[in-house]
Amino acid sequence: MSVVAAALCSAAVLADQDFDRDHRFPHEVHTATPIKHLVIIFNENRSFDHYFATYPNAGNPPGEIAFKAKPHTPTVNNLVSANLLTNNPNDTNPANGTGAANPFRLDRTQANTRSQNHAYTPEQQAYDNGKADLFPEFTGRGTAGGVGAFGTNGQVMGYFDGNTVTAFWNYAQNFAMNDNAYTDTYGPSTPGAVAVISGQNNGAKNIVGSSSSIADGQGGLSLIGDTDPAGDVCSSKTSTVLMTGKNIGDLLNSREISWGSFMGGFDLTLSNANGTTNCGRSTFSSNVSGTIVDYIPHHAWFQYYTSTANPTHARPSSAAAIGHTKASDGKTVDPANHAYDLADFYAAVKAGNFPAVSYIKMPAFQDGHPGNSDPLDEQEGNVQLINFLQQQKEWKDTAVIVTYDDSDGWYDHAYARPTSASYDPAADQVNGAGLCGTGAATQPQPKGLDGKPVNGRCGPGTRVPFLVISPFARQNFVSHARITQASVVRFIEDNWLHGERLGGGSFDETAGSIMDLFDFDHCDEANKVFLDPTAGTVVLSVPEGHYHY
Amino acid sequence: MNSRILWLLGAGLLFAAGAVFAAETQAPGDNPNPVHLVRPRAAPLSAMAQLGQKIFFDVSLSSSGALSCASCHSPDHHYGPPNDGPVMLGGKNLSRQGARAVPSLTYLERQPNFSIGPDKGDDDNAPGLAQMAALGQTVPRTKKQGGAAEQNIVPQGGLFWDGRADTLQDQALFPLLDPREMDGGSVEIVAAKLQHAPYADYFPSLFGAGIFAKPRLLVSEAMFAVARYQLEEPSFHPYTSKFDLWLEGKARLSESELRGLNLFNDPGKANCAGCHPSRPTRDGLPPLFTDHEYEALGAPRNADLIGNRDPAHFDLGVCGPQRTDLAGQEQYCGMFKTPSLRNAATRHAFFHNGVFRNLEQVLDFYDFRDTSPEKVFSRAADGTVQKYDDLPPKYHGNVDISDAPFDRHPGDAPVMTAQDEADIVAFLKTLTDGYRPDP
Repeated sequence: MSVVAAALCSAAVLADQDFDRDHRFPHEVHTATPIKHLVIIFNENRSFDHYFATYPNAGNPPGEIAFKAKPHTPTVNNLVSANLLTNNPNDTNPANGTGAANPFRLDRTQANTRSQNHAYTPEQQAYDNGKADLFPEFTGRGTAGGVGAFGTNGQVMGYFDGNTVTAFWNYAQNFAMNDNAYTDTYGPSTPGAVAVISGQNNGAKNIVGSSSSIADGQGGLSLIGDTDPAGDVCSSKTSTVLMTGKNIGDLLNSREISWGSFMGGFDLTLSNANGTTNCGRSTFSSNVSGTIVDYIPHHAWFQYYTSTANPTHARPSSAAAIGHTKASDGKTVDPANHAYDLADFYAAVKAGNFPAVSYIKMPAFQDGHPGNSDPLDEQEGNVQLINFLQQQKEWKDTAVIVTYDDSDGWYDHAYARPTSASYDPAADQVNGAGLCGTGAATQPQPKGLDGKPVNGRCGPGTRVPFLVISPFARQNFVSHARITQASVVRFIEDNWLHGERLGGGSFDETAGSIMDLFDFDHCDEANKVFLDPTAGTVVLSVPEGHYHY
Repeated sequence: MNSRILWLLGAGLLFAAGAVFAAETQAPGDNPNPVHLVRPRAAPLSAMAQLGQKIFFDVSLSSSGALSCASCHSPDHHYGPPNDGPVMLGGKNLSRQGARAVPSLTYLERQPNFSIGPDKGDDDNAPGLAQMAALGQTVPRTKKQGGAAEQNIVPQGGLFWDGRADTLQDQALFPLLDPREMDGGSVEIVAAKLQHAPYADYFPSLFGAGIFAKPRLLVSEAMFAVARYQLEEPSFHPYTSKFDLWLEGKARLSESELRGLNLFNDPGKANCAGCHPSRPTRDGLPPLFTDHEYEALGAPRNADLIGNRDPAHFDLGVCGPQRTDLAGQEQYCGMFKTPSLRNAATRHAFFHNGVFRNLEQVLDFYDFRDTSPEKVFSRAADGTVQKYDDLPPKYHGNVDISDAPFDRHPGDAPVMTAQDEADIVAFLKTLTDGYRPDP
């Protein structure tokens, strides 16, 4: 790939190097692009159409803050451009029964919804061999949601607009978005969480009980559902699993590049305002009218790999050690092993110790997952973090990716023909019974961890939002290039690791590049977009007093 | 022990953890440990809630043209029934009895979903109702003392006396269509009325131009609007009772009220707080006075209900007849949801069948059900006392006989004296909203 020199911002970087004598600072690590800090905010359970169905035009009912699109906003592949708001096949296909429905707008007052069915097989069945017309039938069975939640037959067809997911629409207006981003495989949280760090869901190994996995046809297992990571003190006592492959943390460690996993609720020594502590730290959300436990083990990406796990949630030896394998003396191994709390991210950045690569998981009430979270709480957590980052001196060479672990099963019209085939007789259904792909003869399965073709990796799965917020992000730009969660892994490899790949069947080898979301010739450091965390609207100065950390 | 000491102990029992007595500076009746209560945020009604308000008061949706949601859930009666009878009357000629006493619509904003057993959280592989119900057939119950027994495998949460709706939106449609209540006919008839209502303009503006072509979606949205009105309108959850103000150190309880609170909380006495917790939550939210769980208490049959003229008819709550999905789970037959006690002192119908008309009757039931059942239940022709006469004998084993005060036997001394009952009633009256402290 071509290494591009940046114009304004990197000059500032060079000036800063006078202060960065410590070789462990990201500014002195060679990168292929001017990006020295990557922050991945990995939210939960929203499809692209569910958040961008009518982008950039919102309903703007009376009494709500109107969203007005910038002129020359590019067209995106959504329900408006595909002309699917009416006469939708999910309304006309009688197999959907009483759930048959056209897509419909969800109001800001309906932010708290039921969760849909997002299991590996029903999501495939909803796509009905490309007709994408069986969502109400197969993924439209929601859990109830809180007492104030909105729910209806066919609710899986509901979408939000810029009156509710205001912040994400504003980020898209000012930075870059991809409308062709997919999960690597069908299915829920855990396969997505391991995909975004490894590009691989094969190589699962049951540790306690059984896991949500299927036989891969080669004597191994592919993880297709949610199972807690083995050894984590907060995990289930009856069912745990480990992944036996490598992840991006292993590669970053081998080059001594700083990185961290930062999850809400991870620090078991903290107490929340309500007195909860340990694995049960919780936060009350008035939006979902419930008290939600912050840390969810089955989202804890790096805990699934022995090499990058911190099963006891051990604390880092110092703030200076955050992001590093060794303690600040440079000799002893730091106990945290790159796994920290979200509060540690804020603390490390404030202390001038901003890691090169940071994977962020919000506390569960802000993670976006319907049922335990909602778009308004999600927006608050995301905006607080992005406002904070834009105030840092490192912002000039920082990129934030906001994307998702899975679609929750919410309707998205953009079926992706499988490029990763799988032929489990029961689990795979997207192109017919036992079929994800055209058949093993014409479309063999991808190679698994051991180099042999394996089942259980049917994908691309479902389309999810993907935003890049950075001074180098193209502005009000939408890429249509196909990417997946593994494209995040690929970007890290391309930027910091000279394009080294994980191997072992990881999708990092084949995933699309996200480089077109950037223009490394133009750094617009002045393009900071501060938002009101509650309303999601653009504000001129940074809102005060909103930070929890 | 003199009454003054008992009185202070009452406050201590409520806030046993970290209670510090500052007797010199505290006047009797003050809360020695005031707390800050987190109330729902007040904001102007959204367009959705404004629409819901109009629907809530719309009598045209009923077949009689005379009933709206507000008829039975009267804003002047804390969104409970305004009448003195056990149930409300509805239907086309306003002559049909409702099946059960009308619950209040206040304080439902934190009601959990219906479930059986402990909370499953964000577990995509959580066992279903049927699995948990099966487990509930074998696992013994723990005693309830001073708070939710979280490990009990019993039903909890949901709306109505039997929990058959999870969301306020789902709940709103039942009375609208029930032939004994608003008798709205069908979703299609309701949709047609909504389309021509004076507030019809709200629908396309909130839900898109195509909304009138989709009757089911239209009605779902309308019911959600009603739910949203209940969530946003502060009078559905004001937390302005004397007790709330006392918790915050802004009001003083009388000697009788404080004694009542003491008895209410005392696990060895009335033990009311065992199911009606009186403590603010860990998050600083005001207490709801319900643990949201279900109990079979064996209340007497109410002869005033027309349906009870059929001796074979029984209202079994969780296992039917209104709720239909748990009919086979016989261990839950006779169980009804524990309601909030907020504003209970203003009601005239208590328990699911409205058999009790005032708090004194309710407390007598708790006091005498097991010690002197003849004071509570009627006698058969042969003179025997018909205990649990509103439940078929095969379900009598479901009735709670383990939690105080229901752990007594005939001839035992009742747990409460007449004075105790009077004090508890005095305390319950402090749970009525709209208290104004003396200036």
